[in-house]
Amino acid sequence: MKIVVAIKQVPDRDEPVRIDSAGKWIDESDLQFAMNEPDAHALEEALLLKEKSGDDGSEVIVLSAGPERVATTLREALAKGADRALHILADDLASRDALGVAQLLAAAIRPENPDLVLTGLQSEDLGMGQTGVILAELLGLPHSTLILHVDKIASGIEVKRELEEGWYQTIQLPTPAVLTIQSGGNKLRYATLMGIKRAKNKELRAIAAAGLVSTAPPTVVLEKLSLPQRKKSTQMLEGTPKQAAAALVEKLRTEARAL
Amino acid sequence: MNFAFPSLAEPQHFSLAEKLLFSTLALASVLLFWRRFGVVLGKILHSKKDPGFHLAPILPRIRDFVWEVALQAKVIRQRPAAGLAHAFVFWAFCAFVLVTLNHCAAVFGLGFLSPDGYLGRAYFLFAALFALACAVGILGLFVRRFFLRPKWLGEKLSWESGFIALLIFALMATYLAAFFTADASPSTRALWWLHTLALFVFLPILPYTKHLHLVLSPFTVFFSRGGFSRIPPLVGDEDFGLVAGDSLTQIVSLQAYSCVECGRCTEHCPANNTSKLLNPKQVVLGLRDYLNDLGPASTEPLLGKYNAQQAVFECTTCGACEFQCPVGIEHLPILIGLRRGAVNTGTWEDDHGGQLFLNLERGSNALGISPSERDKFIQRQQLPIFDGTQEYCLWLGCMGSYDPKGREIVADLARVMRHLGITFGVLRKEKCTGDPARRLGNDLVFQQLAEANLEAMAKNKVKKIVAICPHCVRTIQEDWKEFGAPPIIEHHSEFLARHLHQLQPAQNQEKIVFHDPCYLGRYRNIYDEPRAVASLAGTIVEAPRSHERSFCCGAGGGLAFLGEESGERIGQVRAAELAATGAEIVGTACPFCNSMFRDAFAADSAAPQLLDIAQIAARALPVREPGNGGV
Repeated sequence: MKIVVAIKQVPDRDEPVRIDSAGKWIDESDLQFAMNEPDAHALEEALLLKEKSGDDGSEVIVLSAGPERVATTLREALAKGADRALHILADDLASRDALGVAQLLAAAIRPENPDLVLTGLQSEDLGMGQTGVILAELLGLPHSTLILHVDKIASGIEVKRELEEGWYQTIQLPTPAVLTIQSGGNKLRYATLMGIKRAKNKELRAIAAAGLVSTAPPTVVLEKLSLPQRKKSTQMLEGTPKQAAAALVEKLRTEARAL
Repeated sequence: MNFAFPSLAEPQHFSLAEKLLFSTLALASVLLFWRRFGVVLGKILHSKKDPGFHLAPILPRIRDFVWEVALQAKVIRQRPAAGLAHAFVFWAFCAFVLVTLNHCAAVFGLGFLSPDGYLGRAYFLFAALFALACAVGILGLFVRRFFLRPKWLGEKLSWESGFIALLIFALMATYLAAFFTADASPSTRALWWLHTLALFVFLPILPYTKHLHLVLSPFTVFFSRGGFSRIPPLVGDEDFGLVAGDSLTQIVSLQAYSCVECGRCTEHCPANNTSKLLNPKQVVLGLRDYLNDLGPASTEPLLGKYNAQQAVFECTTCGACEFQCPVGIEHLPILIGLRRGAVNTGTWEDDHGGQLFLNLERGSNALGISPSERDKFIQRQQLPIFDGTQEYCLWLGCMGSYDPKGREIVADLARVMRHLGITFGVLRKEKCTGDPARRLGNDLVFQQLAEANLEAMAKNKVKKIVAICPHCVRTIQEDWKEFGAPPIIEHHSEFLARHLHQLQPAQNQEKIVFHDPCYLGRYRNIYDEPRAVASLAGTIVEAPRSHERSFCCGAGGGLAFLGEESGERIGQVRAAELAATGAEIVGTACPFCNSMFRDAFAADSAAPQLLDIAQIAARALPVREPGNGGV
């Protein structure tokens, strides 16, 4: 089984985000970057599928578009067990919309002819949740979203989708297919020293975005970025501890929907 | 009546038959000895060379050798009665080197010590004194092993040890008895031959039993890595720690064969004392069994049949084992080496451990909390940001940045520093020092954290650090060295003790018991300073296990982050021991110990008050300065 995992590098979630002087994007100087978490889960699912298949011919290829710095995230993916990496060198990712990015990814994926394309259901920075779905359309492949778990079956794959309110849906798809993966389906593996050392000898091929495909001008343009306004809404629950606890449970259930 | 010292009787000549018999026995004995010893030596020498091992500086090696081997100081100090008995046996053996050489040479008329000469006579008497002490000593050890039966020596009685004791006793008794016979008497000859037989049986038994330590442990002590828990560097692209036989180094193999099975390591092990699987003695013996069965070239994993992965990951790295070991075995590089082997190759799977590593990979701290929480704490406390003009960089650490009690300790230390008029600042950003990653054997994460922190220190021109956490102190000062030169760092107990004369004792004097944190005591050899600070609160009482024998709180070695322990909780056992002293205050000097005891005391309304020494120092300050609201 040949699996391509499309990965995005995003600002580390622990990093304080500042808006740049033009007000259209964030100031990237001094920022640390990391692998988009849903993409990390997509990679984990791909690695598990490869390991479960027990097939020596199975291959996990990681793919990312972005500037030079993206190579560190691809190296990390190789260290965790991916077999080789494709890096679409593009310095203008912020000015492309989801369609533009998906066109780049599709162009790089096509010659690979994979059985499966996995990607995170959305990115932690823009959170549009579009790239994977558009990618499926461009590749002309069936797709399914919000996937927690993938199993190989005779006719293709069987996937577990997350629905609302704690409901799940299990569906079968033919391959090749595109899946967008939801966080939390599996425990992520930690990077190991052995993985990093072995990754040094794995192929990381850079492809210039310009030579890949001519993308349409963006149809979605970012006008302005602003930080969310802080709003405190502390509520004091009165009564005996028992009453307060009951009220808290009720609020967690109905207002916060955390239970 | 004239008193004359008795003199050693020796047979005067030996027949050709006797000479032949002696030679045959001697040869057989040496060959039998070599048959096994040669194999052991081969396994040690064919093990991998130790990366980063240097013989220099030689002086500390000589000092340790004299102290631990020649003077038997460690053996005696930690178990006085058995230790002294052992020391007498050891010293007698040393004294007997010349006696035995002379004994063998005399058969061929080449004896160089004569009971008739002044020197020989004196030396034989000198040796006789040791022989007497040795005979008493070995009897004592025999009684201890077979009648008192301390459980650390193992459940099963070791008959081989009994036989060895008998041989040693026979060697001494036959020597001493010859002071009461005449040269020409047949009993002199009989005693001489009995002595010879005992000697030639004794020699080949050594390499087949734990008595091999007689031959090896002087070398083990001399060639040790030195320091405490010194973790060797990984070299090249294929070194991931102790993975299989081919990753065992010469030092590790030498140590495995040196174990005398005394069980001191296990006796003091907090994991073993709370019904966990880990038994440090068995870890060392497991490696020895592995070497015996598979040898140092094997690629069979070290963890599995011979040592359980679970046991290795129950170690709190408190170092009680390494501190106690009388034959120079360094348990921590072995235990951490085995963890490195499992973690660096990804064979260790643990939900909590994996989450910890991910937190450290992507985030900045072991607690997995957003660094913005640290920023808020710094703002609330109005802690100045370090800009190179202040004397100290106050290192907060994960606990000082994010843990509520750790924050109280930092806030109080800051109050004391302000009161003393000492300038300090905190770094705008800190990452975990990498201590839990280091102790759990994740070299990748440890290196990333150490390098990032070293870079930040250099950029901020940090020269001097003070920290509230002994784990941070140790990791910064010792473990970071592999990747650069860390700034000078001290623990707040050292800092506060130096300024003690400017601090006021509490008006209401109470009884206080101080718990020695492993990473401050055994790792850093600091015992008096925190007690001096703690005594501001009142009179110090000592727990049954204190100073270098202190019993761990259970948090070290990354275990604070690994979820529930099996068996009893180490922290509860220790907390109960501290409370049982009747002290009104339990003093700590480590935020991890503090958090373990906080949990242990949580359900006990009669529990003593739990205070860090910084809090004790701050309690005596006159008034609260502004900006010290909540933490």
